[in-house]
Amino acid sequence: MRARTASFIPRRLADRAGRLLEFVWSAWSGLAALFLLAAVWQAGHEAYGPFILSSPQDTLAAVWHLAGDRKAWSLAALTLQRSVTGFALVSAMGILLGLAAGYSPATMRIAAPLITVLTGVPPIAWIVLAMIWFGGSDATVRTVIVVTALPVVFLGAAQGVAIRDRNLDRMAKAFGAGPVRRFLAVGLRQTTATLFPALTLALGTAFKVAVMAELLANAGGIGGALANARVNLDIASALAWVLIAVSLLIAVEYALVQPVKGEVDRWRRAAQPWGVKR
Amino acid sequence: MTVLGITSIEHAYLGRSVLKDIDLAVSAGEILALVGPSGCGKSTLAHVAAGLLEPKSGQVERRYKRHAMIFQDPALLPWATAAQNIGFGLRFARVSRRDRAKRVAQAAQQVALEPGDLPKYPVELSGGMRQRVAIARALAVQPDFIYFDEPFTALDVALRRRMQDLVIATCANAGLSGLFITHDLHEAARISHRVAVLDTHGVGILGHRQLPGTPGERSEAEERDWVAAALARDPLFRHIHDVDERQIA
Repeated sequence: MRARTASFIPRRLADRAGRLLEFVWSAWSGLAALFLLAAVWQAGHEAYGPFILSSPQDTLAAVWHLAGDRKAWSLAALTLQRSVTGFALVSAMGILLGLAAGYSPATMRIAAPLITVLTGVPPIAWIVLAMIWFGGSDATVRTVIVVTALPVVFLGAAQGVAIRDRNLDRMAKAFGAGPVRRFLAVGLRQTTATLFPALTLALGTAFKVAVMAELLANAGGIGGALANARVNLDIASALAWVLIAVSLLIAVEYALVQPVKGEVDRWRRAAQPWGVKR
Repeated sequence: MTVLGITSIEHAYLGRSVLKDIDLAVSAGEILALVGPSGCGKSTLAHVAAGLLEPKSGQVERRYKRHAMIFQDPALLPWATAAQNIGFGLRFARVSRRDRAKRVAQAAQQVALEPGDLPKYPVELSGGMRQRVAIARALAVQPDFIYFDEPFTALDVALRRRMQDLVIATCANAGLSGLFITHDLHEAARISHRVAVLDTHGVGILGHRQLPGTPGERSEAEERDWVAAALARDPLFRHIHDVDERQIA
């Protein structure tokens, strides 16, 4: 028995290391896409001149310059903090409400029109309202993130419950699982199919909306820095800040969402033959 | 001794009565095959007996210790490996973590799954292997009663025979009791001790027929003759192949 456990752990470690390497290796295709974008950007720069579009090289230089600046780091950290806390808040709320609505058709019927209303109100209107309520604070940014991204997370969770395989529920019941354990052992896991795309989308929305709210509410952070760049007509630093915001989003997504998704979707990869793994 | 007693069960689905006046008893060590035309409510009756559905009226008396169920769809968790699927029921059966691995290995061996198959996910297994995993999952909880809800209908003929042999070896000859739902009289003749026929419209059990000998010991010719005789002469089986597609199964 001990010998089996002893061989079990290295095998698990090797399996995990293999998946990690495969994941890192898949970054090549991502890099290729980014360099393509840079090429198009460069072409635009050469066509319209540095005043309209500064070159990728200049932008990177501006990013490098900002990287040496302590104040820039704290600005980026502020936006990062607001986006991530806003994302956490909207995930918690959206998942709880979505699961409730998925299991209870009455809740769904009440919530669906509200979600439509929420989707229809432009984020800019929420920014104005939140500014009046909370001023230029973290709460303004978080509120806008929550109301903008809530419909996506809500629908992702509710849909995940709605499309669950009821045969599995019945099977779990036949083996003596009560409603709570059925939900934990069988139902919750099935929501991930629709919940993860929704969360990825919500995370992107959180960053975009955070920067927008900061800019309009004059609340500092990357949005505030962008507002300054606009005033100075400093296209290089404006693009540099955009680049920083995007990098932050990518860093958070690959540090937070993708590892969990990879772990949860292990079985899907098992069915794929070599060479087409994504 | 009766291990499963069903008395005057009535069940309605969306206000329409699908089962009425059902009385059925399964004795210890007996596999009772319940046959009937397609859509007569056989599966519903099994679900009521197993407690998956609440009957509108009537009593279900369960004197066995623990039951397990095998469905037509293997109903495996797609995200769990074969071993984890086999161990699924053990989580709810209060089996300690340490004993689970042992039970899983034992159940896998009973259904002739190889250790190499256990870390595979259901998507990597063939239909027959998946049904094997489902049977192992049922056996792992060490039930003394098993419900079979048309478990082999979706399998091809050769595979179905093999699965039937598996059930005969692990259940019928191992002293387990069970209720086997099927619309295939040949399957019933192979696997069970006794055959009960459900009415076409779910109104009562029409009757029972005891099969000669015990499952596994009957020769193929005996089974074939019994089925042929039943279909040709026994009025009980007259409507067994009726099909009403409008009824909800």
